[in-house]
Amino acid sequence: MNRIYFDNCLTSQPAPEVVAAMLPYLRDKFYFPKNFILDGSGIQNDLDRFRNIIAASMGAEAEELHITSGGTSANNIGIKGYLMANAARGNHIILSVIDYPDLLTNASFFEKSGYDVTYLTADPDGFVKLAELKQAIKPSTVLFMTTLVNHVVGAVQPIQEIRKVLDSSGHKIALFADACEAYGRIPLDVNKSGVDLMTVSAHKIHGPQGVGALYQRRGIALMPVKHGVNRVDNLETGGVSTAAIAGFAKAVELTFQDFDKKTAYIRELSDHLLHRLETEIPHIMLNGPRGMLRAPHNVNVSIAYIEGEAIMVMLDLAGIMVATGSACASQGLKPNYVLMALGRNHEQSHGSIKFTLSRYNTREEIDLTVEKLKGIVAELRSRSPLYNKE
Amino acid sequence: MQYSQKVLDHFMKPHNVGKMENPDAVATEGSPACGDQVSIFLKVDPQSLIIEDIKFQSYGCASNIATASIITDLAKGKTLAAAKQITWKEAADALDGLPPVKMHCSVLAVDTLRKAIKEYEVKHQLAREEKFTKDTIVEELRKVIYPKVGEDIVTLRMVKYAGFENGIATVDIDIPKIDKYRDNVAEEIREHLGKFPEIKEVRITL
Repeated sequence: MNRIYFDNCLTSQPAPEVVAAMLPYLRDKFYFPKNFILDGSGIQNDLDRFRNIIAASMGAEAEELHITSGGTSANNIGIKGYLMANAARGNHIILSVIDYPDLLTNASFFEKSGYDVTYLTADPDGFVKLAELKQAIKPSTVLFMTTLVNHVVGAVQPIQEIRKVLDSSGHKIALFADACEAYGRIPLDVNKSGVDLMTVSAHKIHGPQGVGALYQRRGIALMPVKHGVNRVDNLETGGVSTAAIAGFAKAVELTFQDFDKKTAYIRELSDHLLHRLETEIPHIMLNGPRGMLRAPHNVNVSIAYIEGEAIMVMLDLAGIMVATGSACASQGLKPNYVLMALGRNHEQSHGSIKFTLSRYNTREEIDLTVEKLKGIVAELRSRSPLYNKE
Repeated sequence: MQYSQKVLDHFMKPHNVGKMENPDAVATEGSPACGDQVSIFLKVDPQSLIIEDIKFQSYGCASNIATASIITDLAKGKTLAAAKQITWKEAADALDGLPPVKMHCSVLAVDTLRKAIKEYEVKHQLAREEKFTKDTIVEELRKVIYPKVGEDIVTLRMVKYAGFENGIATVDIDIPKIDKYRDNVAEEIREHLGKFPEIKEVRITL
């Protein structure tokens, strides 16, 4: 059975070209770089080329880019490295309660070590409130962190306006963007957006798992937080899979070739999905913003009177993979914290289904999924004590 | 897939699902806020006290629906006295097991069945409403499952103290600070104890 995959926010299928690009580095070209032998320097040249490709995709220079063992590693190296290098300047951090767990857990780690942390709220659509940010800034503020595209509701944060607010404080506040969910889905330029530190991940753009990158603007100091032997990157010490980096670069090439066309196609699909859901399934509600302020690949809806894990399992048995914000499907049996922070109640969070699309999805898949889902919703509602058929 | 084939079978094609017209007893447990709610309807033969028909409705996850379905299978045709004896472990076993994190679904299904039976018994003067004591609290805590191992917190000796005075229920729980189910266990305790009108306030120390 051909599976239909709508969980590209979690991870995405590696492109066939990506797998092909990786294979030589798993076979003959298995060396680490810089070994003063021909093959080793060949690897160094390859890695330089890959680094250039990845850096160019976000308007950065290769020297500003660290290759890391994934998005979470990049987040740790960036956040911890920056705060430790700037400890003498201040100890106040600002982020939002709806940020990605990497950001929240790092903030909580620093909070426990004595840092001052402000957790901003979000508006009902999932955007950081600029006035609240402005108010939160103190002379001791050194870092503001944001999840550029929210991982649950797809809200694209107003990064340029955020930059302006930070700059209006009159002292240097670094802007850190976790762009793992944004990269390859919305246009990203480190100079236009004004980020000082930004992280991306390969496996969300049809690259391999276990590799990502950290952008570090020139002049932004980072203290090394991972100590060890220097192989590929001076901050991500130890070996980083050359094959994975090769795959990452290939995924970037594929994603950013005809980028506007590809993202327009994905937006067309998700618009079609949302339109059919809203017109054909009663008592359904969109979570997050509408239109261009939403990343093109994300459709998150709450379906009333039924529970998301049951919907997810039924779709899964029909060969369709989605995600849910239900506590029943979560690690700690808690409803999704982002939806709760946006003012959704428990029931709406339990009944939420998240579709995250990719360029490999088709209109036929969307139509088939809507048909299946209509049957599933009707069936589960017929069993639910909360649903009264009028 | 962490679910057994039997769980999936009962989830996809549940037995005895739907509303019952003019039931002899009905009970609803759980709440939409917690993500699971079950209603059970009974039709009881007044002479033999055998459950002649049973139906359920469920708002919840796959295992919630499957456990409600299996509990109706297990109870149908049994006397009220026998049906009362069905445990959540038996219900889980009848489904070839449940993931530990889903064991509370079985507790909810059994609890709802017992409440429906109780309702019938009280209505027909076969039993009286139980008096609320400190033991009621401990019995209720036996329905709180520690999701990591799928066993209740009393059996696991996680309850260090349970007391009741002046409308205040005090519960001390031994659970590691970094345990990801810490909040969940506290919330479950609040939910379970919160339904007694005698309890005005629940104080939990973790």
